[in-house]
Amino acid sequence: MTPGALAARRDLLALVLDTLVPASAGFPGAGAVGLDHVLAVAAASADLESLLWRGLQVVEEAARAQGGSGFAQLSPDDRESVLRQVEQSHADFFDALVRHTYDGYYGHPTVVARLGLDPGPLQPRGHRIEAADLPDLTRVTARGPIYRQA
Amino acid sequence: MATDDPTDVLVIGAGASGAAVAWRLSGAGIGVVCLEQGDWVDPRAYPHWRADWELHRQTDWSAEPNVRRLPQDYPVNDRASSISPLMYNAVGGSTIHWSAHFPRFRPSDFRVRSLDGVADDWPIDYATLEPFFDLNDRMMGVAGITGDPAYPPKSPRQTPPIPLDTLGATIAGGFERLGWHWWPSDSAILTRDYDGRRACVNCGPCDLGCPIGAKASTDVTYWPKALAAGARLVTRARVREITLGPDGLADGAIYYDREGRVRAQKARAVVLAANGIGTPRLLLNSRSARFPDGLANRSGLVGRNLMFHPYAMVRGTFDRPLGGHRGPIGCSIISQEFYETDLSRGFVRGYSFQVARGLSPIASANGGSVGDRVPWGREHRRAYDERFDRTITVAIIGEDLPEPGNRVDLDPALADDHGIPAPAVSYTLSENSRRMLDHGIARGREALEAAGAREVAFNPLLRAGGWHLMGTARMGRDPATSVIDPEGRCHDVPNLYIVDGSAMVTSAGVNPTSTIQAVALYVADGMTRRRA
Repeated sequence: MTPGALAARRDLLALVLDTLVPASAGFPGAGAVGLDHVLAVAAASADLESLLWRGLQVVEEAARAQGGSGFAQLSPDDRESVLRQVEQSHADFFDALVRHTYDGYYGHPTVVARLGLDPGPLQPRGHRIEAADLPDLTRVTARGPIYRQA
Repeated sequence: MATDDPTDVLVIGAGASGAAVAWRLSGAGIGVVCLEQGDWVDPRAYPHWRADWELHRQTDWSAEPNVRRLPQDYPVNDRASSISPLMYNAVGGSTIHWSAHFPRFRPSDFRVRSLDGVADDWPIDYATLEPFFDLNDRMMGVAGITGDPAYPPKSPRQTPPIPLDTLGATIAGGFERLGWHWWPSDSAILTRDYDGRRACVNCGPCDLGCPIGAKASTDVTYWPKALAAGARLVTRARVREITLGPDGLADGAIYYDREGRVRAQKARAVVLAANGIGTPRLLLNSRSARFPDGLANRSGLVGRNLMFHPYAMVRGTFDRPLGGHRGPIGCSIISQEFYETDLSRGFVRGYSFQVARGLSPIASANGGSVGDRVPWGREHRRAYDERFDRTITVAIIGEDLPEPGNRVDLDPALADDHGIPAPAVSYTLSENSRRMLDHGIARGREALEAAGAREVAFNPLLRAGGWHLMGTARMGRDPATSVIDPEGRCHDVPNLYIVDGSAMVTSAGVNPTSTIQAVALYVADGMTRRRA
């Protein structure tokens, strides 16, 4: 595998990511907003890039074994079926794939905003918590000391 | 080899305990030099200032040195341990990434042999430490409410408690319905401006550090005062070994400076504050003809009796948003309903419940501390939305009893960037701890269901949960069964002190930093009285 080989398969990777997290209910698919992160972490680790690249080969082979010409030509249901098969046969690849997909997807500002949160930095804004009275601890204190003297 | 100007006291490690000792000694006019292998953390460097802050939890801001792999970190071989040690190497040490949950040990925690027939009593007690708890609270700044019936009366907290908010009030309701103890957590996080530091703005991830100094990491509490009092702090200074004079007393240390040069720092006394793994590692690396098995190790106990707090995590899912992204991540309420020994439960000693805040977006997807990733595929959206901002996690923090087989040793092959042998950790969860955690999981489920959870999941043992590193150079009166005496001095080398978690005789069922720091101040007080 040559450096950048995974990036050369970005179209296939995007389809795989869209199968992991499909667009739904106003949320984008992971192929649209998680792909760049997955490629970036792979570019920073030769081991990870190799793992993902080899995993994509397995995905394509599994897709062809279903009688088609490749993963891209499968229906969404069949794509999910192929990935479930690969999840069982190549657990390390799949674990890394899902983890980095979720990282990229749920770290993306578009998704964070869709969740109802401010997608910007946490500081200096912080979060507002409405002022509340101190909790009523009457029942707890009414029991008296619960520690042992020593 | 370059030699620095000698000093009265050399402190090794600038974290929770080293900072406290440096402040106390320098304030008494005693010369202090502290060697710290990490650096100052620039407040602008924290991930909170970036939109991709959460990604950093798994990389350069991970609590695991084996994941983080920064130049100032050393590797830890934890393959023989069911819990991964966590730590941070910087001015402030692990208080940089702690959640600042700040309970004290209770009186019975110092008398476990007398009360429960297990482990050993401490040679000091709660009453002895109480003024140092109070002093430390004032230095760190504690948010909370007095009157908790789980403790003897405490001095006033420095600021009001951290707000329960929706999440905290929800789980508190569960404890109320069951008639169990609960209390707003004592937290070393300011809710009002205090002592020149700002109040918390509830941004959330204290575990990635606090960029505004509201959380009490010792780089913003003790160190500015210690430096003002004359202490000298040398960063990126990695100690290789503690040296002995011809009289058999410690006379300083050899270290690598920022440029990798070997230097010697001489001192009349040495204080080890390098955490429960770093301290035994350094002692075991300081071998000599006088101490062929490691410095101050005639007992053979250096590195032994390693205690973590084993954590089990129970997570409830609710039908409504809980606002869990608001507020300090590790602090809402504590329950000590099952803290004291009741043998009818099937185990000795006990545990606390620590209720944290909710999970951020990526953590929600990956299952947080329970680790059950949200399913992928067509069901993903529904499954994720049912979980995000609708969960409460109850941590069971169990008392770990000391066992000689749980230990820190030197790895025969692994070393840090300077070639210094790295630690190897061996740790097996005891049967007593297993039964304790199982009890806690069942009771945690009860609490969550009483609070309205519709679904409960759990992790029976959190692997990435080795925040608390204790017991590896324990305190005691008998040189045959302990490493340091009741004043914190090594039995074998009486001008060598140990003040970090290594000194702990037992672990209690609460986060230890408050107690570690109180012990450190107590030891420093004795040094001051004896003028080191």
